[in-house]
Amino acid sequence: MIPLTVIGGFLGAGKTTLVNNLLRGAQKRWGVLVNDFGALNVDAALIEAQDGRSIALSNGCVCCTMGDDLGDALATLAGYRPDHVVVEASGVADPWRIAQLALVEPGFSLEPIVVLADAMTLAAGLADRWVADTLRRQLGFAELIIFNKIDQASPAQLAGARVAVAELRPQARLVETTQASIPLDALRFSPVPRPQPSRFLADTPHPFITALWVPPGPLDPVRLRACLADLPPSVLRIKGAVTLNGDAKLLQYAAERWAFTPAPAGLPLGLIAIGTPEMPDLAPILAACVA
Amino acid sequence: MSTTVFVARRIVTMNCSIPLATHLAVRDGRIIGVGDASIASQFGPAVIDDRFADSVMTPGFVEGHGHAIDGQMWRAPYAGYYPRTAPDGAHHAGLRSIAAVTADLRRHEAALVDPAQPLIAWGFDPIYFDGPRMTVADLDSVSATRPIIVAHVSGHIYNVNSAVLERCGFSRDSNIDGLLRDAAGNLTGELQGPAVMGRAARTVGDAGLLRALDVPGLRAYGAIARRVGVTTSTDLANALTETNLTALRGATAEADFPIRLVPAMRAREYSLTDGIALISQLRSQSTDKLHFGMVKLVVDGSIQGFTARLRWPGYHNGAANGLWYVAPAELGAIVEAYHRAGVQLHIHTNGDEASELATEMVGRAIAAHPRPDHRHTLQHCQMADEAIFRRMAANGMCVNLFANHIYYWGDQHAAITMGPSRAQRLDACATALACGVPLAIHSDTPVTPVNPLFTMWCAVNRLTPSDRVLGPPERITQAQALHAVTLGAAWTLKLDHKIGSLDIGKFADCAVLADDPLQVAPEAIKDISVRGTILGGQVFAAS
Repeated sequence: MIPLTVIGGFLGAGKTTLVNNLLRGAQKRWGVLVNDFGALNVDAALIEAQDGRSIALSNGCVCCTMGDDLGDALATLAGYRPDHVVVEASGVADPWRIAQLALVEPGFSLEPIVVLADAMTLAAGLADRWVADTLRRQLGFAELIIFNKIDQASPAQLAGARVAVAELRPQARLVETTQASIPLDALRFSPVPRPQPSRFLADTPHPFITALWVPPGPLDPVRLRACLADLPPSVLRIKGAVTLNGDAKLLQYAAERWAFTPAPAGLPLGLIAIGTPEMPDLAPILAACVA
Repeated sequence: MSTTVFVARRIVTMNCSIPLATHLAVRDGRIIGVGDASIASQFGPAVIDDRFADSVMTPGFVEGHGHAIDGQMWRAPYAGYYPRTAPDGAHHAGLRSIAAVTADLRRHEAALVDPAQPLIAWGFDPIYFDGPRMTVADLDSVSATRPIIVAHVSGHIYNVNSAVLERCGFSRDSNIDGLLRDAAGNLTGELQGPAVMGRAARTVGDAGLLRALDVPGLRAYGAIARRVGVTTSTDLANALTETNLTALRGATAEADFPIRLVPAMRAREYSLTDGIALISQLRSQSTDKLHFGMVKLVVDGSIQGFTARLRWPGYHNGAANGLWYVAPAELGAIVEAYHRAGVQLHIHTNGDEASELATEMVGRAIAAHPRPDHRHTLQHCQMADEAIFRRMAANGMCVNLFANHIYYWGDQHAAITMGPSRAQRLDACATALACGVPLAIHSDTPVTPVNPLFTMWCAVNRLTPSDRVLGPPERITQAQALHAVTLGAAWTLKLDHKIGSLDIGKFADCAVLADDPLQVAPEAIKDISVRGTILGGQVFAAS
């Protein structure tokens, strides 16, 4: 399964800068989906092959344009076997809508939904009659919010942005940065066993906690569905293989949405849950779903 | 230098100097004289063509907002509610119930030989049906093994059968947005939004509805358009890829291609630099039948799909505000760049907030870079109020209103989306004219069928299927409506010096009608039969 990170954020928040950073650093073979090559600042000397829809770089990275059908573009990208796929949502898109595709596209696993925000303009944007509701929608399902351009923001602007996000999306982790520069592990869930006491103090992404549960046997689909529907928002992801009605199924869960697809051959049974420090112990909850 | 003189019972010219005539003299495809019988001998030896002597002629109709892909839709079965005529002239009565739709699909299914070939239908719109929506069981009754997709007329929803659900891996246990369920939690087979629809289309294979333009498809569109009196149609919008350009050039080069095509470049396909370079290069390659120069922008979605951007008080049923398809500031930058490059913009705005934003951005662009006669046009602009129209007039903008919407969705707008009082100003043709905004009216085919006489009827009567008159003061006169589908539409395309009226030097493009749309009773405009068209002096019979 290829990890997939959706990067959202309004026009000017720094999404393209972030993508350019990834491609230039190239510590992995990134596969990047963008709306438009034009804004990408790819060094011409790096370009190995290019057609209308994709650019392959000599450092192993590849960029594709999204076109009308995101799933189609993802399939094209998967053909290059990248280590990690990053989807740059358009400035007005709802990143959560795009993220859900990863739940049904075979071969991808959904990593944190990242939303960049311009620390200078976020508070003003949330008061703007033309853009406020779009910003709210974008932040609504964010799991990692990156305040960018904090060097240019006044203390009042930054404080306003923090207050707004604490109100809109208290569940999200926060990172504050400049030039859209972030530690690479922020683009994947990097769970640790023990929760940290505060989520607002550190300047790196707060860790997530993780739990593994191996079902003792087949699960009951009706009870499992009911159980998933009742999970609290502190559960960010569940993924792994289970047996339902005699078939091995891959479950992917994110933010109260989920999909079952046929499990890849050889995947051992077991569910991995990733959550905020408030995530409850899932073992007794899931055990009630055993058929 | 042969001259042909066409004789008609009456010729409505839309030409102020000679508004009415009986004779039209044509040389080299252009009008050399218009007037009474005395002009027949004024231009040397002439062939008198009196086959339309008992008909009425008007300038050929101009469809200011259509999509040439209409011609290719008909490769798949039509599943729409309203009657519609196929390119071959076959009349489809319209399917008035879900049972009628499935019965028709069964007929098409039986004709397919290869059991793996998917069955795709288009034009479905359940908004008109009372009672339960179409379900997976309905389509499984057609076939549970052959993949079936019924595309809605909006383009934003599919209904599919269980064969498609299975292949997509969508099941009762999938819980993602866009998979609709019944009260018991089972999937209904209705797929909403690009994520799940795209997966279905890709899983089933070539859905047929997403193909690039080709020459046979354009011929089919030409056949549909000329049958309703159209001699010029936009294709709004077109990616203008090499494939599409080859098809456009190929079709319009054919001697018997019956319409002039005016494609608008879909801006979002290109970066600003590339888009401006392409449209500038294409502009010089225009021919008599293929005109380049316009660019299309899309600001929001549709009202009945709840994706249009509305100002306060928003959707009548409380739905959340719609979506920007482009960020407001980005729209400003795009408008400015194309405006500076001398391009004419056609800007899709359905909701009033989108219209207001586009008007604001055009205002900023012309303040920064004054350019006379830009004629930037808002397309659809369905909910603009008087204040927006006044600002548009002050900016020198034009409007092309979606008059067909009044009939096709007027009742739904009054009941659900806009509420009874705001719906009165849906496609406010009279207000636009009163404010001094040049007006065209359109069908947006294939969203509603291209038929300018019907579009005129909508703007003149504003009747809905329930016999409600939606906003009586917004009704316009027959003469205003005829202007809006001829010279008015030509003005919005910057082609009013070539088409849109019957005047010396302009193309000899006519619609040939059984009756005069200015003299029949207002409610009868849509029933006037079209006997043919004349394009550059060449006669096309309507049959």
